[in-house]
Amino acid sequence: MTLRETQAILSGLITEAADPDPPSLDRIFRGTDELAPFDRIAIYRGMYRERLVDALRETFPNLARFLGERFPGLGEEYVRRHPSEHHDVGKVGRRLAAFLARYPDPERPDLAELAELEWARNEVFFAPDAGATGPEALAGLSPEAAGAARLSLSPTLRVLTLDHDVLSLWRRLERGEPPEPPIPGPTAAAVWRRGFEVFHCALSLHEAAALSSAREGAPLAAICAHFADRPDPAGEAHGAISTWFVEEWVASVSAPS
Amino acid sequence: MALRRLGLGHGIGLRTKHFGRFQAEPSPVEWVEVVAENFMADGGRPLAVLEKVRRDTPVAVHGVSLSIGGTDPLSEPYLRDLRRLVARIDPALVTDHLCWGAYRGEYLHDLLPLPYTEESLEHVVRRVAAVQDYLGRQILLENPSTYVAYQESTLTEWDFLAELSRRADCGILLDVNNVYVSAHNLGFDPLAYLDGIPPDRVGQFHLAGHADKGRYLLDTHDGPVAPAVWDLYREALRRFGRVPTLVEWDDRIPPLEEVVAESRTAAAVEAEELAPALQEAS
Repeated sequence: MTLRETQAILSGLITEAADPDPPSLDRIFRGTDELAPFDRIAIYRGMYRERLVDALRETFPNLARFLGERFPGLGEEYVRRHPSEHHDVGKVGRRLAAFLARYPDPERPDLAELAELEWARNEVFFAPDAGATGPEALAGLSPEAAGAARLSLSPTLRVLTLDHDVLSLWRRLERGEPPEPPIPGPTAAAVWRRGFEVFHCALSLHEAAALSSAREGAPLAAICAHFADRPDPAGEAHGAISTWFVEEWVASVSAPS
Repeated sequence: MALRRLGLGHGIGLRTKHFGRFQAEPSPVEWVEVVAENFMADGGRPLAVLEKVRRDTPVAVHGVSLSIGGTDPLSEPYLRDLRRLVARIDPALVTDHLCWGAYRGEYLHDLLPLPYTEESLEHVVRRVAAVQDYLGRQILLENPSTYVAYQESTLTEWDFLAELSRRADCGILLDVNNVYVSAHNLGFDPLAYLDGIPPDRVGQFHLAGHADKGRYLLDTHDGPVAPAVWDLYREALRRFGRVPTLVEWDDRIPPLEEVVAESRTAAAVEAEELAPALQEAS
């Protein structure tokens, strides 16, 4: 048997759901009276599941809290369909939100978005530091130049558009309170890191759209246009963009010379 | 090329739980080891802590996903991330394990044993050479804790490791706890293992706790070093002399003082074992 063939067999034995066939194991692996090859392979099978479920639990602590004893089963099913393809075990959960969206719990359709929120929190924790600039970057610009300025948003910021209020669910789980029923309705959230701490907050849909425009490189005038149908468009745009600077979501500003 | 054994002394693994202390205070140990994959990110707290620590404390970068014995091609993204981390940190040591852990692009996130055959040996020698060329430096490979052996193995693990270190010109990170755990699980003599390892290739020791699961020992890194492992450490010191020694504690991690105390115990054991030899030499 080649080394490649041996690794194909052991890898299958560890990852496949069904228990292996003991006689076939005895031909490949050595055992003792105390511990047969079947029992030895079982150690690796158990450690594989435990390690990946633990990694998922670390990334999705409130989803794990919500599901309780059901979480390991979900984790194992997910890993069977989406084995780890990255050398960092911490990245094994990158498709969990999509997996939950594809196979939703009919009673908790909001769990995919809870996972999305927790994955975003994990991503920004490890995102590159890009520094931040203040509103003074826009000071002194003519109205035309300010309108043409572009904001470069920090890589430590994520904007989520959601169909449920999962921020409230996350908060309750974080505090150890019983979760409320799903709260449907379009909403949005910002997730960001300042220093070494990760935060998230609710956003209005037009502010989320404005941030997405900024991320795509739209000029400030186009960003402000997302507030056009608000009662006080200029005031709300000014208020929102001022907050972006205060929260260090803006890494830099480029204005036409 | 010979292996240059460094005089690092005694260290511990740098773990998230203790980041605050390492960030705010001088290092309480002579050196630290970090799990490479946990610091390959582009930013955030882990890197910031590591960059602070490395200013005055030597660091060893210890990988778990190189899969040096794997039959997938060596992962370019992994090697790129590792080289970037090494360039950033300039570690005293770069280490990984004698094992494989990925197949057809899927990571098992485990340190799986190889069949110890001539085919495996040639395969791993080639890959170690490629990694050392890519990184521009020697690496050290650690003996894994093992729960199964292959019918087709024709070499012992220690003969394999010894031959590998010579042919590939790499170092050996001798995990004393793993020798003990594997010896118990597979039924070999741990002293024969130590006797089979070439002293001039040993560049680091690991010590850690394990759990007795009844029919086998599990390498858990979740408790203090077992008395029998301290005894084996003494045997290792008699054979290999003073070697940079690191205490690993990765699960149910206690307060920093407790991990540091375990490392100080290792230093005391080393002093006790090596004092007569030093006296004779002087």
